[in-house]
Amino acid sequence: MHSVSVMLQYMAQYIKTRLQYRANLVIEFVSDLMFQGLNLIFILVVFGHTSNLNGWTRDEIIFIYGYFLIPFTLFISFFNIWDFNDRYIVNGELDRVLTRPVHSLFQVILERMELESLLGAITGFIVMGFAAARLNISLSLTDSLLFIPFVLGGTLVYAGIFVMIASIGFWSDARSSIMPMIYNIGNYGRYPVDIYNKAIRFVLTWVLPFAFVGMYPSAFFLHKKEWYTYAYLTPVMGILFFGLAILVWNTGIKRYRGSGS
Amino acid sequence: MSKIIEVNNLSKDYKITSSRSGLSGAFRDLFSRNYKHVTAVNDVSFHINRGEIVGYIGENGAGKSTTIKMLTGILTPSSGSIVINGMDPHKNREEYVKSIGVVFGQRSQLWWDIAVQESFRLLKKIYKVNDADYKRNMDLINSTLEIEGFLDQPVRKLSLGQRMRCELAAALIHNPQILFLDEPTIGLDVLVKMKIREFLKEINKEYKTTILLTTHDISDIEALCERVIMLDEGKIIYNGELESLRTSYAEGKEIVFEFKEKKAKAALEAATSSLPVTWSHLENDLKWIAKVHKNEISISDVMAAIVEKHEILDLKVREVALEEVIRKIYEEGIRNGQVS
Repeated sequence: MHSVSVMLQYMAQYIKTRLQYRANLVIEFVSDLMFQGLNLIFILVVFGHTSNLNGWTRDEIIFIYGYFLIPFTLFISFFNIWDFNDRYIVNGELDRVLTRPVHSLFQVILERMELESLLGAITGFIVMGFAAARLNISLSLTDSLLFIPFVLGGTLVYAGIFVMIASIGFWSDARSSIMPMIYNIGNYGRYPVDIYNKAIRFVLTWVLPFAFVGMYPSAFFLHKKEWYTYAYLTPVMGILFFGLAILVWNTGIKRYRGSGS
Repeated sequence: MSKIIEVNNLSKDYKITSSRSGLSGAFRDLFSRNYKHVTAVNDVSFHINRGEIVGYIGENGAGKSTTIKMLTGILTPSSGSIVINGMDPHKNREEYVKSIGVVFGQRSQLWWDIAVQESFRLLKKIYKVNDADYKRNMDLINSTLEIEGFLDQPVRKLSLGQRMRCELAAALIHNPQILFLDEPTIGLDVLVKMKIREFLKEINKEYKTTILLTTHDISDIEALCERVIMLDEGKIIYNGELESLRTSYAEGKEIVFEFKEKKAKAALEAATSSLPVTWSHLENDLKWIAKVHKNEISISDVMAAIVEKHEILDLKVREVALEEVIRKIYEEGIRNGQVS
């Protein structure tokens, strides 16, 4: 309960800070909207050329893409930890975090969140709705109820993987370039996994389970029965990977060495 | 008195990579790394009683900050034990830090972009401070530190002095039992330093707050601490009263003479040959310092011996400055309990 109220307080602060820079806020909002619009056009253009991909229709692929944007947006907004190594470990900002009575990872996340990125979810819903309308998909009440755990599961999968990568910084001084690489791999989660060969499919399911962010849960909403088991596993994988990430983080934080002075 | 901080055989080792020089060295580093072990804190034991103000001093790199970081739960010790307020800082970190306040002079604890009062509000929430306690605390803080005027400014717009006062206030919002200060007066002007010292004394008196501070400013220590712990190369070399540091390591007094005419050292030494005095030159052969080694010898003996043969314009008797004592200890270390 306390965590929730701390989180709300942080969010209020965040919004206040944003409101202080009025011009910046307007520019950012406009550019974000433009970026999302471009994104939308790009998707339609790219998928305009594919009509069928290993048994998946164009509209189904667009649906997966739209769905994928929602957990991805949540991840981008709340787990903005790209510069964790530089900012918190090399510069020693973690010192400050560690003198406060709130879990260190929770604090880092709250300090770095970027709520305006949530706008991307709107694009996701538009793309998904567009594809769903063309596919004549009807969602039952249970389907819509499952939407939330699926989205959260996907977000946690993403978050878990990146928190683990950020934790590498506790063991190694070197600034790793592994993050952008994994980030690119993440994009493979937005395509049907059965278009890849077996090894890649295995990696995307069990090692870097990005398929749970986009493809598996989308297959559920597209009523593809053969993928239901995987779809139901989404929240489980999310909790598993995020739990593992917290474990790695907690072990790593003991090795934190601070910076000079 | 009850002990609030107990540290036993505390050590912290770092393993650091040392890179070879040159490009070929860099390639060799790729395959086999050279590691160096550095012991920042070496087998340190001490305890601090509730309500004490203790100065933790030492040269740069002596291990002060590392100790403070272990005591505040930021770093995990390599060996040894720390019990503060009945807790182990790095094991029950989240519970433990509720009872402490921390100020790092070199690093801001506040949020850079938001107004100071907003930072305080956030901290109030984090530490679950109720409104009544918060108000009482803030009133006390305001009455001495006078931060009211710039509470609505973002931290990045404050001067260093204003910022440090806010940092102190932020560390005390939850009225902690123990306050750790790592160089709290670094880079501050005399007026702000005075205010901060006054404030620290006040909260120590009012709330019995235990304070451990590191500083390079000896006047901070003189103004605040009764006890100092001195660290050198990770080891404690002195732990005791400030006054006895002065008396046991810097016996005696100094007399500064200003003569009417230029003097040679030999002439002065001849005049005081029967007394345990050493002479040193201060400036332009007119000013000389006589260091009187033993306290038993009255200063008047030395003065009488000089005045008898030499005409003087002015003289000053002064105690050996603590700063001088500490500088000597840093330079030469303590040997057999004496400054050599």
